Amino acid sequence: MKVRDVQHAVLPRATADEHSRQNAVVSLRRLLNSKVRSRNVGIFESEAAPAFAERHGRQPQSPEEVRQAFLMSPGYRMWSAANRSAQEMIWVSVGEPTYRDLDRMEQATKELIEAEDKRGSLSLDPSYDPSPEVANVDIHLQPGGYAMNRSEYDIVPGALYECGGNVFSFGQGIGRGDSKAGVILRLLEEEFDGFKPAKMLDIGCSAGAASAAYAAEWPEVDIHAVDLGAAMLRYAHARAESLGVAVHFHQMDASDMRFEDESFDLVVSHNLMHEIGEEKRRAMIRESFRLVRPGGVVIHQDVAIRNQPTLVHEVERDWDTHFNGEVHWNTYATADLKADMIAAGFPEDTVVEHDLTALQGMANNRWYAISGRKPAQ
Amino acid sequence: MTNQAQAIAALVETARGNRPQSLENREVEETLNIALALLVELSVANDKIDRLERLVAKLRGEDVEALREIRYDGAVADQRQETTDALLMRVLRILIDPRAQAES
Repeated sequence: MKVRDVQHAVLPRATADEHSRQNAVVSLRRLLNSKVRSRNVGIFESEAAPAFAERHGRQPQSPEEVRQAFLMSPGYRMWSAANRSAQEMIWVSVGEPTYRDLDRMEQATKELIEAEDKRGSLSLDPSYDPSPEVANVDIHLQPGGYAMNRSEYDIVPGALYECGGNVFSFGQGIGRGDSKAGVILRLLEEEFDGFKPAKMLDIGCSAGAASAAYAAEWPEVDIHAVDLGAAMLRYAHARAESLGVAVHFHQMDASDMRFEDESFDLVVSHNLMHEIGEEKRRAMIRESFRLVRPGGVVIHQDVAIRNQPTLVHEVERDWDTHFNGEVHWNTYATADLKADMIAAGFPEDTVVEHDLTALQGMANNRWYAISGRKPAQ
Repeated sequence: MTNQAQAIAALVETARGNRPQSLENREVEETLNIALALLVELSVANDKIDRLERLVAKLRGEDVEALREIRYDGAVADQRQETTDALLMRVLRILIDPRAQAES
């Protein structure tokens, strides 16, 4: 199943002008990424480092000094201001059709989640207070964040996440045919002898695009997915039902899930590690070890921003921490994830980091994943 | 029913956190934001013009490229030139304003 650009009942029905606006933002971001941001490292040498040296009488050394130097460069500052502006316009371009069409979308949601012939399910936990380190931040500037939940049938965070995610991704040069779930399915085929679970878990599923893609690929597999926001999960559930696939969505904290030990054959997460702090990430990885059965596979996939070649590249890549609400971006980028996996219980010889090509898109579009296997008993 | 302006307001009202500044001056940064938003709106208008050109060409039973190749001279060309000059004056007025910058 395609995960981007799929049509279903809970998507906002954008007008021709709204589509034009989204396309314009995609084009603007594509230009900023390919023609402007690509000059930043060179600008560091030509503008930033000399400006820092003139003021301090020496070259910048620490990450914070490299960041200060970047901000002394007019070229970097203009890119940064334009990039922040473009990021905000992503949300305007998808937020306007979402709020304009919301009455219809909420009605469609109500009908889908109250239908008697549902394939999947939705378990919300009114006693759960979404983790503030995620809920209190507008991650990547998504207005209201992941856990906003304004009413019984609210689905705004899911709609924004899916639609904004597409505008963002196409602006990064990611192809319409790319799929994080597809990349993991390919990894299972190539590196795990075509491992196929009977029961799987998707941690931090957000709007449920990957969960639904697994369900479409494996209709006979019992698929469960967890996230922290009620409205996000409501959207994910309605989306899956509209697409005709079976996923069981649960509102839980990734660091403390209410499933029995060894419940799943396969546990995955997609783009979750960079959204949570160090302590929660380690707890989430420990949970993934607890929940997978002996002989089962765990794969945590995320953005390919780790292992930058120089400190200047690393700081340039860290723009999102400071300007894009990605407060854990650098924590993730510099974390020793192999150590986290081993500390969680995975035998060292099963823990592997993967540098994965995207299914479709520009040549430099890649994904990161780290996998581990629980020893068979 | 939520109209377009209300929809934008509803979105903006939910935004949280601060707005870190990249440029040295807040006014310049906000002006850049307005300029980029206008760039996006220009693109939307261009799409709309393109759509209308294609529909007109179809109605006239001719190729859209032929319709786009229509050139005007004489009085119509003069009128267009006046319109363009006035547009440039409106947009670039600040560059020819004789008043010197002063502290408020």
